[in-house]
Formats: sequence, structure tokens, C-alpha cells
Amino acid sequence: MASAAILHPKRRPPPFRTVGRSVLLTLPIALWALLMFTPTLRSPGLNHHIGAAAAVLFMTLLFFLMMRTGKTFRWRRYFFVALGFLFPVGFIASLIHLRGSMSISLEHMLGGDTPFCHMVIPMILIPAALTRTVIFPGSILPTATNPHSVAVMIGLWLALTLVLGKAWCSYACFFGGIEEGFAALPKHIRIRKIDPRLRLVPWALLIAVAVLSAALFEPVYCMWLCPFKAVTEFPAVTGVKTAIQMGIFVALFVGLVVVLPFLTKKRTQCGFFCPFGAFQSLFNKINLFEIRFDRTKCVDCTLCQTACPTMALSAESIREGKTLLNCMKCGACVDSCKKHAAVWHLKGTPVAVKPERARLLFLYGAWALATMLGGSIIANSLATILGFLPIR
Amino acid sequence: MVVTVRSSATGVASAAVAVPFISTNTAEALMLGLATGPVCIASCGPVVLPWMLVQPQGVRVHARQMTLFLGARLVGYLLFASLIWMAGAAIARTWGEQTWMVGAVQVLLAGGLLIYAAGWPHAHCAMAQSEPPGLVQIGAAPAEPPRPRPTGAVALGFLTGINLCPPFLVAGVRVAQLPSLANALAFFALFFLGTAVWFMPLLSLSVVRRTPSFLTVARMAAVLLACWYGFSGASLLIEKAIYG
Repeated sequence: MASAAILHPKRRPPPFRTVGRSVLLTLPIALWALLMFTPTLRSPGLNHHIGAAAAVLFMTLLFFLMMRTGKTFRWRRYFFVALGFLFPVGFIASLIHLRGSMSISLEHMLGGDTPFCHMVIPMILIPAALTRTVIFPGSILPTATNPHSVAVMIGLWLALTLVLGKAWCSYACFFGGIEEGFAALPKHIRIRKIDPRLRLVPWALLIAVAVLSAALFEPVYCMWLCPFKAVTEFPAVTGVKTAIQMGIFVALFVGLVVVLPFLTKKRTQCGFFCPFGAFQSLFNKINLFEIRFDRTKCVDCTLCQTACPTMALSAESIREGKTLLNCMKCGACVDSCKKHAAVWHLKGTPVAVKPERARLLFLYGAWALATMLGGSIIANSLATILGFLPIR
Repeated sequence: MVVTVRSSATGVASAAVAVPFISTNTAEALMLGLATGPVCIASCGPVVLPWMLVQPQGVRVHARQMTLFLGARLVGYLLFASLIWMAGAAIARTWGEQTWMVGAVQVLLAGGLLIYAAGWPHAHCAMAQSEPPGLVQIGAAPAEPPRPRPTGAVALGFLTGINLCPPFLVAGVRVAQLPSLANALAFFALFFLGTAVWFMPLLSLSVVRRTPSFLTVARMAAVLLACWYGFSGASLLIEKAIYG
């Protein structure tokens, strides 16, 4: 063995699983994906057929590769980046189809036509508890012009959160993929030193937007601070106030979603800004899955710390064998650990005993939901893009 | 309380009857306070919450600070009630138009929050509780953490007391219709009592452990909220300066 290693120093390590076993493990996801997209495949419209078929293949292939290689982060990233970049395409197309513009007028807001997004959830809780009012200019139940109603989105969020916890931010959020894409572009990290206190900013922002939304009776984050308004939907610029709002959206998008991820190779918006992410971290406490560190194998090389896209690891937390509360279970630390000290873990079971079983259990749930939500977004957006192409 | 009842047809005083204040105005003021308390606390939340979070841990400290805060808020309420009663309901209706005053109050609130964020009033005691003690002389009595200064609580309480919110204006309009200043003050005091009940749950924040991370988050939140108050207040002042 030693001589073989000397003769072939760059030989690839053997695959994690055989093809047969990987296919068998992928079958449930393949069937699930087919089940999810059968209605689309049976409906008329070639573009939608192609989009749905591509989504089924894409999600199934990625899961197969996860099984085959034992790596999670690398393959999940393809899905997540595709979701991040394709979501605005489909969303903007539907906005233009419905309203003729990306901007939303006061008239449409009052008409309850604003699509509800998960980012709003932490802001509506206090006013709803205190005054039984939903402070969002959308409709509670789905309508013909606005299927993304408050009830639908909260139902989806709740279901996914119970299964995923903070992993929502790695498998379900349709915004995080854009910055993950920009973070993946450079080969080297250009800014290495990041003040660890920055990871507390989302908590402060969560407190601030939650209480301000209650005081002003409007979702403050959406009105003033959401970077993704720049690529989705924004209030129509009609005066100084809306111009300032638009300026803030664009500046935050360029800074936190494009430039800083490129320079730091981190998800800076998710890790150092997003208040919804902080709110979602609370559900890590009740979620069954987590990443733990086998202290008998860990050599404190800090590779995992460098790999973590949201700085959810500190030297202290690794010493304790845990991640911080804001871990979004993307699997970057597990994939990067050469000593196999970072492991997937099912709460209530011994650490580092059958970690692959914990990974499988987590991935089945996470990928099934990712296929359902993200896969359908990918399929729709692909169909939209195909609709623009001069192919018949 | 004694009031003169006049005939609606002739306008002649027919009798002097005793109207029980408790049965009418007291209940109304209390109920108004209790009913609009959630809106009150939502309005004051951006000031009260970060201010409470940067306080050192301990029920007694929080209770004392909250008492000072509410006391100063009561003074603000009574001052407003006196002004409204003397000037009539018109002031309550035009108060909202006095944007420079609202803007000035918001800028002052921003300043107050920034001072708290900087840790000036009691940074030493808040941090002292969150960090392990240093060298302690054997036999010496354990050092009691220094109390937060009352100035901040009083200033913020007074400013929130005169800061406008919808329940405050509703109570103001009602006060202007009352027959005497004493009644007006009593009405606002009882209204204050009704709203103050809603602040009591905030005392539960006193038992949350103050770690350095917790205090950092609280200060960051105070800075963010100060930025908003500063922006909002400055916008109102600039708007007033430009458009009159």
C-alpha cells in the first residue's frame, strides 16, 4: 500500500460508496422528485416539461453524487447556487407578467398583492401577539394574483423548519445561493481577518427590526434593509424616501451579496446581517440534527473554521465539540475535515458513532424538502428562460 | 365630585349633583390605558427594550430602573395633560402637526440610546457582572456591583412620556373635555397606570444572564435603533426647515 501511494501520489481516493449502493440510496429521492413534478410533466407546455425534467434529473443526480462521494457541501452548493440565481428570473418574470413592472405601487400594496416572503416572519410576530394584526400588505389566503400568501408561506416555513432547523438557510432559502455563488468564484481568500463580533450583528438587527416593526406597524426590514429587494421587488420610486430606500437596497446587495462574499469567501449577508437567519438559529435548539466534533480525532488544524461560510465555529466551540448556534448544517466543515473529526450527529445518540446514518437521515429530509421547494423554483425558472429563447 | 347640571333647553342651572369620578372617568381612563397598552408598549419598545437589555442582570436593579423610568414617564404624561387641559383639545389635534417637536424628541431619544450603547451610564457594572472577578483580598466583603445611574432612566422615561403615540393622542383629546385640571391629571395618571401594567412583563428580562455577547448584541441593537430615531427625527426636522 505504501509503495502504491508513493508511485501514485495524486491518485484519487476510492469512492465513498459503490455505484450500486449509491443508486439504491438515491432511489427514494428520485421517486420523490418524480412525484413532485408529475403534475407539471402531465400538463401542457413543452417548456414546463423540459424545466421539470431537468429539475428531476438535477436534484437526483446531485443526491446520487452525495451518496457516491460522501461529500455534502460540494454538491449541495450546485443546487443552492442554481436556486439563488434562478429564483429572481422566475420571480421577476411573474411580476412583469402580472403587473408589468418589478416595482410595486401603493395601490397594489393596499390591494394585498405583495408576495409574502419568509424574511417577514420575525417582524409580524410581536404586532400579531399584541394587536392581532398582520403588518404585511399581502393577503392571508392565496388569491389568483398572489399565490404566495401569508398562510401558505408560514405553513411551508413551519414544516421545513421543524425538519431542518437553521438548515433552512442552506437548503430552502432562495436568496442565500447568490452570495454562495459569488463566494465560490475566487480561488483564494482576500480578506482573512474578520472580527468575530460581526456574527452578533444579525441578532441585534433581529431585535431592532422586530421592535421597530411593532412600533411603526410596517415590516421595517422589507421597507428599508432587505438587500434582495434589488433583484426581486421594491417599492416604486416616487420621491426622496423611496429613492433612499432603493439606494440602500442596491448598496446592501452589492456590498453584502456580491463584493464581500467574493473577497472573504463567506456568506456575509447570511452570516453577518440577515435577521431571519438569527431567528432561524433559535430552531437549532429543537432540531434533531447537528454537527459535532470527535475530540479524540480533532487536531485543531482550524480547516473547518476556515471552510465555514458563516463563521459558525470558534476555537472554543470546537474544543467543546460543538458548533455555534448559527450553524446552518451546510456540511462544509465535515467535508473539509481530513481527520473525520467533524461528524453529522443525531441528538440523543453517542457522538461519532455511525455518523453516516445521521447524515443520511438528515439528508433525506433536507433533500426531499429542497426538491419540493427549490426544485420547483428551478423548474419554473428554467421554463421561463426557455420561453424567452427563440426555440419552438 | 360636584358638577352643575344645566337644562339643555333653557340653559338654566337646575341642580348640583354629585357625580362619582370612580364610576365614570376612572374606569374610562383605566380601561383606555389597559386597552391601548399593547400599542403603547409597541411604540415605546424600540427605546425600552435595548435600554433594558444593557442593564446589568438582577431583578432589583431592573425594578429600580423601571420605577425611575415609569416615574419620569408619568411626569411627562402629567405635563402633557396639563398643557392639553389648559390649551384645550386644539393642542392635541395640532400636536401631531408640530413635527419639529416630534423630530427633536426622536433626536434626543437617539442620543440617549447612543449614550447607553457607548456604555457610559453603567458600563462598568454591567461588564463587572459578566466577567469573572479579579484579585480579591481574603476576608474582604464581596464587592457589591455599583448601581446604574438614575439619569438615563429618568431622561428616557420623560422623553417617551412626551413622545406621541396613538393612545396618547386619544387620551389627550378626552382630557381636554374634562371640567377641571385635577380631573385631567387624574385621568392621565390612571391612563398611565393602565398602560404601565403592560411594561411589567419586561422585568423578566432581568433574569437573563448577561454574557459579553449578550451585552454586545444589546448595544448593537441600541445603536441600530438610535440610527433609526436619528434618521427619522432628522428627516422631520429637515422637512420642517424646508417646507415649513
